[in-house]
Amino acid sequence: MASNDDDTHVPGGATGTPGRLGRLGAWLDARLRFSEQIWPELAHHVPRSSASFWYVFGSATLLCFVLQLVTGICLSLVYSPSAAEAWASLEWLTYREPTGWFLRALHYWGSNFMVALMTIHVVQVFFFGAYKYPRELTWVVGCFLFLLTLAMAFTGQVMRFDQDAYWGLGIGAAIAGRFPFVGAIVVDLMLGGPIIAAETLSRFFTLHVFVVPALLLALVALHLWLVLKVGINEWPMPGRLVTRERYLEEYHQLVAEDGEPFVPDGVQKDLVFSGLVMVALVTCAAVLGPSGPNGEPDPTLINTLPRPDFWFLPLFAAFALLPAYMETALMLAAPPVLFLLAVALPFYSGTGEKSWKVRPGAWILVVTVFVTLGTLAWLGIRSPWSPQMDAWSATPTPVEMVRGRTPLQLQGALIVQSRQCRNCHALGGAGGQRGPALDDVATRLTRDQLIRQVIQGDGDMPAYGKNLLPAEVDALVAFLVTLHPANEPPARDAATLGPGVAGAAR
Amino acid sequence: MKTELLRARSGRQRRRAATRGASGTPAGQRARQWIAGIAGQVVAFAALALAACTGLPGQPDPAARPIRPADVKDVNVLYAGNCAGCHGAEGKLGAARPLADGLYWHVVRDADVRDVVTRGIEGTEMPAFAMSEGGALTDTQIDLLVTGLRARWQGTPLANRGLPAWSVGSAPAGDLGATQRGAAVFAARCALCHGATGEGGLAPGSLVDPSYLALVSDQALRSAVIFGRTDLGMPDYRGGRGETPLTNGEISDVVAWLGSHRVASPRWPATPQRANPAREEKP
Amino acid sequence: MREQTLTSGPDTTRRQFLTRLGVLLNVLGATLIGIPILGYLAAPLRRRAEQAWIPLGSVAGFPAGETRLAQYENPFRVPWDGVTAKIPCWVRHVEGGTFQVFAINCAHLGCPVRWFQESRLFLCPCHGGVYYEDGSRASGPPPRGLFEYEVEVRGEAIWVRGGRLPTLSADV
Repeated sequence: MASNDDDTHVPGGATGTPGRLGRLGAWLDARLRFSEQIWPELAHHVPRSSASFWYVFGSATLLCFVLQLVTGICLSLVYSPSAAEAWASLEWLTYREPTGWFLRALHYWGSNFMVALMTIHVVQVFFFGAYKYPRELTWVVGCFLFLLTLAMAFTGQVMRFDQDAYWGLGIGAAIAGRFPFVGAIVVDLMLGGPIIAAETLSRFFTLHVFVVPALLLALVALHLWLVLKVGINEWPMPGRLVTRERYLEEYHQLVAEDGEPFVPDGVQKDLVFSGLVMVALVTCAAVLGPSGPNGEPDPTLINTLPRPDFWFLPLFAAFALLPAYMETALMLAAPPVLFLLAVALPFYSGTGEKSWKVRPGAWILVVTVFVTLGTLAWLGIRSPWSPQMDAWSATPTPVEMVRGRTPLQLQGALIVQSRQCRNCHALGGAGGQRGPALDDVATRLTRDQLIRQVIQGDGDMPAYGKNLLPAEVDALVAFLVTLHPANEPPARDAATLGPGVAGAAR
Repeated sequence: MKTELLRARSGRQRRRAATRGASGTPAGQRARQWIAGIAGQVVAFAALALAACTGLPGQPDPAARPIRPADVKDVNVLYAGNCAGCHGAEGKLGAARPLADGLYWHVVRDADVRDVVTRGIEGTEMPAFAMSEGGALTDTQIDLLVTGLRARWQGTPLANRGLPAWSVGSAPAGDLGATQRGAAVFAARCALCHGATGEGGLAPGSLVDPSYLALVSDQALRSAVIFGRTDLGMPDYRGGRGETPLTNGEISDVVAWLGSHRVASPRWPATPQRANPAREEKP
Repeated sequence: MREQTLTSGPDTTRRQFLTRLGVLLNVLGATLIGIPILGYLAAPLRRRAEQAWIPLGSVAGFPAGETRLAQYENPFRVPWDGVTAKIPCWVRHVEGGTFQVFAINCAHLGCPVRWFQESRLFLCPCHGGVYYEDGSRASGPPPRGLFEYEVEVRGEAIWVRGGRLPTLSADV
């Protein structure tokens, strides 16, 4: 767009004797009808108040999309979308192909930037009331663009055909399999067969490079067309209410009195921000590099820890935390319901105040959503509900829990390791987080309660009664009752109160 | 307001004027923004071009690429992932016997250790690690572990003469005579720390606890007597300063005496009224 | 088109006929093309009834009382499946020559469960589902026990019926 600067006289009509370049321009213009049809659109007047750095995130998202198209096309020159070769071609791209790693990094970080900028754009549009009358359709199209962008992120994760991709597909299939009645059909259509295999990758490749980008391009065009035709939202002022009767008139008056051409004046800040985004993107790619691929997508390599990419961590975390009885219903119903609520927003909140300053509800909603998603993402990174699969053999018993122990207690410490207790229970801050840490377990449970917990388990802990000999339980509990801080005595048997109350007697 | 509108409509001339020095006006600001925008893009493309050079911090290191678990060949990685949990991060002060123990590596043969790692030890907590036995390690990895750990911990050679007999299999069951001789050996060599009855003294806890004895085989007891737990202060069969080493026979006898305290089937610990409920209170 | 709009009068019915014919032909053509396309897209559904008996190897490879990882090749594999054609499963030799074969996929969200013979439990690395050695749910989010293959011992070999990714709506 910067290079167009010197051509801005073309729309105004050539003055004086045209040079060779000028005659070429006129020849083209006579055929393309640029100055007659397109330039007036680009130069249409927008409210001067919209030339703000708050209005740059949509164009930055579009820039990321264009960059994704460019880097994506480059990657597809080398990437082999075949289940047998995808991983090898990624390895080749990452380690052998000159600058292949950098293109992969650009594409990966480009996708992160795109989702992030798009999210900021949505929040800005929401806070500025830009979805209200008459821009409802722009918002609706934007919602679908959001969905399609997430679809690109998920299918893109599958393109990185490694263990995470393979088991991510498994998680997707398992969710699809929860649909009542049609579950099996949905799974087969999604995987392109009864099992994750060659056709699955081909399907997701087709979605990632043909279907979803084509839809994105079409909807981006529609989105931009609507932006041009309906006009950019003016800076919201508290007290300036949107009404269906008067808004258009007011807007036209505003643009006439205090407007400026969209091109070149309205897009200046977009231009600056786009440049900054590119610099940031290149920096991220150069410093942080591409993501993965991790291990080969060989399903028989089962010591893997499947984790989704960042944007799907909140979902991953929610799946661990949903109570079992409502899990399937929420998994299947919540996303479409939330999406429909978002799509319908301008139809139940289409008029009235636009400014975030006088819409406390908007603040509450945004803060709630982001605190929830942020917390879930943080939990997803930590995944405290996941057993640490090699803790039993790789995380030593803290030395201070070994010193000064009796032979039986030492045997118990050994059982804590060798029977995989550590996979779920931490000692000295190391080990699984699935169950409570055992460092001070003796202050919480009496000896009898420990025995019952080990033998019977509870909802979150398997019962070890069948898997431990009496002597092993004895040794294990003998060790566990030593686990209490020096200044805090172990829980005592409140024999007269009965076992149910004993836990309170600390 | 009117003038603003007019100026906005003649953007190009305004911008020309601005570049000639009308800074401070909105037009001058816009001109600077244009320049900043172009400069930003130039920098972006320059950085892109720069990226063609190698050696950037983000470039993936081929050495760090993921490998199949069966292809891990680094002994320290194998030890840390499979052994450290029980035998300790540095081969000592773990819940299980220390491996950073020169005497141990002098007494045991490679074939024995390979067998122990492959199949585990029946009657102890040592699990089987070979893939053929349902574990996670290949035979090659086990060989690497055995030779690697020996190289790491064997230390300076000891005289081979007089080392007590040790094998993976169960120690021979002692006769009645052995048990009686073992009691005498225990009283002479062990009771100072473990108490006259074996129920604890300077060293905490009972050696004759039925649950403990139910969980350790005679061979494991024999290993404990031979190698001690020097990391926890228990000397090996050679005893403390000025003591004579235990003989092969004495070791068998004391193991027989300890083994004679086994009961047929230890009770479930949930059974109330234990003989010595205060035992667990010791730290 | 321009010429048609310029002319008017007597041949209106002829033009109406041509328009109708044109629409009809296009609908017909689109249907003729569309049906095979839909059929092509739905091809995975027509293949799904297929389940095959697959040999897992000799009984001798699975000691009594133990659970071991086995793998088989997806019976409907194509040459470009690569490593994804391999499917793992857990074979439990219950005492006395009876076998249980469990799918690798957790009943919660399909992640690969791992067997720990020391604690005799299956643990899932994703959301912490736990199963006992007989495949029944022990704790965590799974709504049911592990998916279990149909097993037959034919002579010295163990055979299972499989070839499908088990989900809550379609067991193996």
